[in-house]
Amino acid sequence: MDIAQDILIRASRGEAQAFEEVYKATSGFVYNVALRIVNNREDALEVAQEVFLIVHDKLKTFRFESSFKTWVYRITANTAINFAKKNSRLKSVPFEESLMEPPAENEALTQMDQEYHNRLVEKLLGELNCEQRACVVLRDIQGLSYEEMAQALNININTVRSRLKRAREKLLSLKQSVDYEKVRTF
Amino acid sequence: MKKCGHFKDLILTDYIDGRLDKNAVAALESHLLECSDCSAFFKEVKNTAVSPFHRALQQPPPAGLWEAVKQAVEQEEQPGFGENFINGLKGWMVFPRLVPVAATLVLMLLAGGVSLTTLQADRAQEKADAAYLVSLFNAGGGASSSDNTSLGTPIEKYFL
Repeated sequence: MDIAQDILIRASRGEAQAFEEVYKATSGFVYNVALRIVNNREDALEVAQEVFLIVHDKLKTFRFESSFKTWVYRITANTAINFAKKNSRLKSVPFEESLMEPPAENEALTQMDQEYHNRLVEKLLGELNCEQRACVVLRDIQGLSYEEMAQALNININTVRSRLKRAREKLLSLKQSVDYEKVRTF
Repeated sequence: MKKCGHFKDLILTDYIDGRLDKNAVAALESHLLECSDCSAFFKEVKNTAVSPFHRALQQPPPAGLWEAVKQAVEQEEQPGFGENFINGLKGWMVFPRLVPVAATLVLMLLAGGVSLTTLQADRAQEKADAAYLVSLFNAGGGASSSDNTSLGTPIEKYFL
């Protein structure tokens, strides 16, 4: 995601076309981070919309001293975490329902496998608290470095490390319930 | 084993995330070769706590998201009553020197009005006092209706 500085400046002056360019360059990760943190499509849509309103409002205060991408990640993570905390209505599906049903053999396997895998990811993330979830999403799904995560979440690197450790320990403790052999075949 | 605990902590974070320097990686991997417990732990972490997320599919943003954002931005840009009022005030502040000038003029007008009223009231009071004193003088005897001649008193000279 590279956005030319002049596009950001034009967008910050209220130029609609430039803001649309910003949207096109960032909407993919904004929506996906929101989706994985709130773990629900409907809520993710609401969060993503709010994120872009904040970006639109605050763009004129962006000083180009930090990475624009990290700045947007930060807004997204904060908005999504706040939303998840306020609403705390993550629609958690029991393992028995979501993950103990391997894809039927007579259906298109690839599509079913993907769906199964997606439900697995949703379920695993649903077992973590908001902060741990944000760390796992930014690190393992979005591929941010610890330094970028620290900036995006406004925490120090040791806290990043500690949250990842706790999250992964929690995920390890769930291994009895999950059919990882199935997941590994992807 | 204390050593294993240390290596497991590294496996859970810096090792699996590729943040260890060469020497630390060499020490850990050497330990993994000789410790089946840590080796199994590493595989478990990789397969159950990290890899599922690496393979997570990126979902495309819903088609309606841009329209919803555009609409919300446009709505936000239309000022409401409160914003109009604040903008009106801000408009005044564009000419900041006019504000104290206008305030001074208003104060001067008010002060002038008050002084004029006070002066007029003083004069009316003076007239009333004079009339009262004359009436006292007239009522106090020596002031018969037929006696219009001067008594030679200083008060008479003053009023008449």
